[in-house]
Amino acid sequence: MRQVTRRELLGWGLTGGAAALLAGCATPGTTSVNTQPVVPAAAGEKVTLTYWAWLKDLQKVADVWNAKNPNVQVQVSWIPGGNDGGYQKMYSALAAGGGPDLAQVEMRTIPEFMLVNGLVDLERYGVSEHADKFDQTLWSQVSFAGGVYGIPQDSGPVGMYYRPDLYEQVGVEVPTTWAQWAEVAPAFREAGVYIDSFPLDDTSAFTAHAMQAGAVWLRSAEDGWVIDMAGETTLEVARFFDQVIDDDLVTTAANPYTPGWYAAAAHDQIASLVSASWGDALLQSVSGAEGKWKVAPAPRWEHGYGSSFIGGSTSAVLANSKHPREAMEFAVWMNTDPEGIDAMIEHSGIGWSPARDYIGAAREKPSEFFSGQSYNTEVFQPATQQQNPDWQWWPITQQTFNILGDGFRRKATGGTLVDAVVAAEERTIEVFRQKGLTIRKAER
Amino acid sequence: MTTTTTRTGATTGAATRPSSRPAKRRRTAVDRAPWILVGPFLALFLLTFVLPIIVAIGQSFTTVTRAGLFGEQGVTTGFAWFENYRIALEDGNFIASIGRMLLFGVVQVPVMIIAATVLALLLESASARWPGFFRATFFMPYGIPGVIATILWSFLYVPGLSPIIDLTETLFGFTPDFLGAGTVLWSIANIVTWTYAGYNMLIIVAQLKAIPPEVYEAARVDGAGPWRTAWSIQLPLIRPALVLTTVFSIIGTLQLFAEPQLLQTVSPAIDSQFTPNLSAYTTAFAYNDYNVAAAQSVLIALVAFALSFVFLRLTNRSSR
Repeated sequence: MRQVTRRELLGWGLTGGAAALLAGCATPGTTSVNTQPVVPAAAGEKVTLTYWAWLKDLQKVADVWNAKNPNVQVQVSWIPGGNDGGYQKMYSALAAGGGPDLAQVEMRTIPEFMLVNGLVDLERYGVSEHADKFDQTLWSQVSFAGGVYGIPQDSGPVGMYYRPDLYEQVGVEVPTTWAQWAEVAPAFREAGVYIDSFPLDDTSAFTAHAMQAGAVWLRSAEDGWVIDMAGETTLEVARFFDQVIDDDLVTTAANPYTPGWYAAAAHDQIASLVSASWGDALLQSVSGAEGKWKVAPAPRWEHGYGSSFIGGSTSAVLANSKHPREAMEFAVWMNTDPEGIDAMIEHSGIGWSPARDYIGAAREKPSEFFSGQSYNTEVFQPATQQQNPDWQWWPITQQTFNILGDGFRRKATGGTLVDAVVAAEERTIEVFRQKGLTIRKAER
Repeated sequence: MTTTTTRTGATTGAATRPSSRPAKRRRTAVDRAPWILVGPFLALFLLTFVLPIIVAIGQSFTTVTRAGLFGEQGVTTGFAWFENYRIALEDGNFIASIGRMLLFGVVQVPVMIIAATVLALLLESASARWPGFFRATFFMPYGIPGVIATILWSFLYVPGLSPIIDLTETLFGFTPDFLGAGTVLWSIANIVTWTYAGYNMLIIVAQLKAIPPEVYEAARVDGAGPWRTAWSIQLPLIRPALVLTTVFSIIGTLQLFAEPQLLQTVSPAIDSQFTPNLSAYTTAFAYNDYNVAAAQSVLIALVAFALSFVFLRLTNRSSR
């Protein structure tokens, strides 16, 4: 028999190895944990849960729980925030068959994780008995197709921060409707001030405006997804802001909470800011802002709701968790128990708590920064009662946001927001179909 | 190689056999030595370089389709032929990002190479003062990580923070927009040039130092001044270094990532598909579409390969 040369051997090894690798390396996330048997509760032995989150000092919150539950210890690892690298880390861990028990996942990202089979359906572990402890709008944003895929952790009801001194200076009332808002805006331009800024590359603000106006961009029906992004409600909002930008009533040069915006705000060039409740902490970074700002309810559209939510995250149980039941119990405690909420506000500075009956002791008091206004109970607590209950997130939310943002950027070079919304709807449908998901346009 | 040795050993006469044995053993040991020595490198090279490329190519021909709202009614993985490539190539933004990088490369690479060459020639000229000090100074930006460099520069670009903008406003009443749709590409080019000109200069300086002093002496005897020496002696002799730095810069241009990714936070003009690499990154890690991302990566590699190849062909031809 002819002897085999090293080169041949190496060649075979390589081809064989590559073939085995390709065969074994199926595209990650194609099997579901929710069709496998329920993992039973730990039988008395000590369990250690890991939690990946980008909230700061969350371990201090977990320690409050750890002291009382010697058998279920929670260890928190800090990760970069969501799309800044956190999700990438989670997706890779899931693809490799590992990952933590719990992870911080934004509301809008829950369906994306479901698409890669990354989350445990908590309905199977009896989460419904805790449903009434949570804000109903937020609870509906984590419920899909008869399952619950995350425990709401924080959110941000929208209100309007404003500078009473600047409003007084130009002599206009604080607007309560968007129509009034557009009427008073030119007065600020004469004083070299902008009433607000409109971010062209971060579409979450625009999405919140559409949500407030009553739009529901996507909803899951029996026969698949129904898209109504370019419906009349959203187009009206887009037309409104097209006009406002064309008239130079808002600045598009500096997005809220970016260095340029902080500089403009510190130089008294920003009169108000329609944003979420978590903006309160960020406003305190504006130099010399103490005592200058107050909070009012967000301006309203002619139809729709009084407020909307921007942002918001959940504690989600990831697919490879060995102890989903214990993980869920910890998450429910942390996000609804007054002790957990107060600790999260104190140590982690979370956004609005999703608990139905408790906003946090620190938030019930008047605020020194907002010149003694009890803005949380006055503005944001009522705002959580005036939400669009039908809003749902969808499996490619981030991609739709990016497509929409890429369209919005063309506003700077002659495009319109209306065109961007219409194009984003078409593109979203295409992407859904590429993934094999069923989608149809709403009748309109 | 081994087979031939064994065969010749077997066919030689009985008398020579005993003496050929130890020789053969020595030969096989000699044959094996390089493999053992390159083994660690080869293992890492295969594991971290060749295999990922093979897997990426495999992924680029795979497609995953899901049924139902989230794929709860079944997920199928199949061979996609060139479907992912079709999706990547039909994506106008991805093609635009490659076009943008070509435009960037056509302007930025020559500017940087010329700047690096001029700096190198100045430092190596007879009249240079403190060449060591200036060499280190010009090289220093390369020592600053790209991420930090971009953050530093972004503070010089953002209105309200930038002393440059403040200065032009007070002196000329003119507000430059470094981060607008038409200008941000060149602001990035500026950062890249600032970072890499010194590095390329060092490669050219190394080649300049390799020119034998006799050549300069001969030139001087023939009456060549500094200009003539630079044009007719130094430039032709540093040609290999210029080709090398240009090819590296072409490849680097297509791989531009950190600078636009960071400037995104201050410039609305940079979208999620501003450069080809940013596009592949977004597709893979923001949209979880590893298959199309793999196709995009393969396309980027092919374009970089084609450009470098064309450039090398052109320079080889003109030197003949």
